[in-house]
Amino acid sequence: MTGAAPIAEWLGFSSEETGDDRLYRLAFNETHIGNPAIRALHGGVIAAFLELAMQSELRANGRTPEATVNVTIDYVASSRAENMTARVKVIRIGRRLAFMEAEGRQADGSRLVAVARACLRLS
Amino acid sequence: MSDVSTDINPTIGAMLRSARDFLAHEHSLFRTLALQPVLIGRGQATFALTLPPAFAGCDGYIHGGLCTIVLDSIFGLTVFTAMEQVKPIATINLRTDYLGRAKPGARVRCAAICEAVDDDVAYVSGKLTFEEGGGLIAVASGAFMIGTKGPMKGMRV
Repeated sequence: MTGAAPIAEWLGFSSEETGDDRLYRLAFNETHIGNPAIRALHGGVIAAFLELAMQSELRANGRTPEATVNVTIDYVASSRAENMTARVKVIRIGRRLAFMEAEGRQADGSRLVAVARACLRLS
Repeated sequence: MSDVSTDINPTIGAMLRSARDFLAHEHSLFRTLALQPVLIGRGQATFALTLPPAFAGCDGYIHGGLCTIVLDSIFGLTVFTAMEQVKPIATINLRTDYLGRAKPGARVRCAAICEAVDDDVAYVSGKLTFEEGGGLIAVASGAFMIGTKGPMKGMRV
């Protein structure tokens, strides 16, 4: 399970069921800072968190990601030195590929920081 | 071929050296990654590193997230080398294609080129390869905003 992966521990990654869907969480840690001068999360850390959230959502849908084909991420607002949450939308799960989209938010979900899309190869 | 580092504007070179020292010694994430400069020239940069086990996924291979962390970091540094005057920057977007998988402990290189600076947007492309044999792990392209409000990325105020 993804929760046991070393990178999940490094990210402080967790998930919780919230009614119909799942909320993924990045627990802020000083090592996640990309720019100490402005105290923002590293863009790559946000991308890693959202990719892991999309992989976890795929597993929650009963499928196993074999590999990530590609990930695209847009940083729509500057991030802060605090926790981030994500919700994942399944665009399509096919026989060999899955297409997912994740939104990363801060400020208790009121601030959209990044949007990522991934294509994942299924086993 | 001559040493490309001699092509850098001396001011930019000094800033790059402080950025590099900062990345190597004063920042915990980059200290964890232990990025080693291989080549820094105008509009290009290559760094080497050993993939840390803390970034493995549940399959035992290095998670793609580490690739984006390394690529975003080196791409940002490459934008600085292409600028006439150093200004704060921010990543607008990044696309990463994963072409190979690496185990923790593997020696890899991240090479980036700033393809163009159009007004206040810089376009960077690059790749992550195995140091031995040069096999591809990931290729990526990104766009960066130049002249954002914050202080310079990777530098002290």
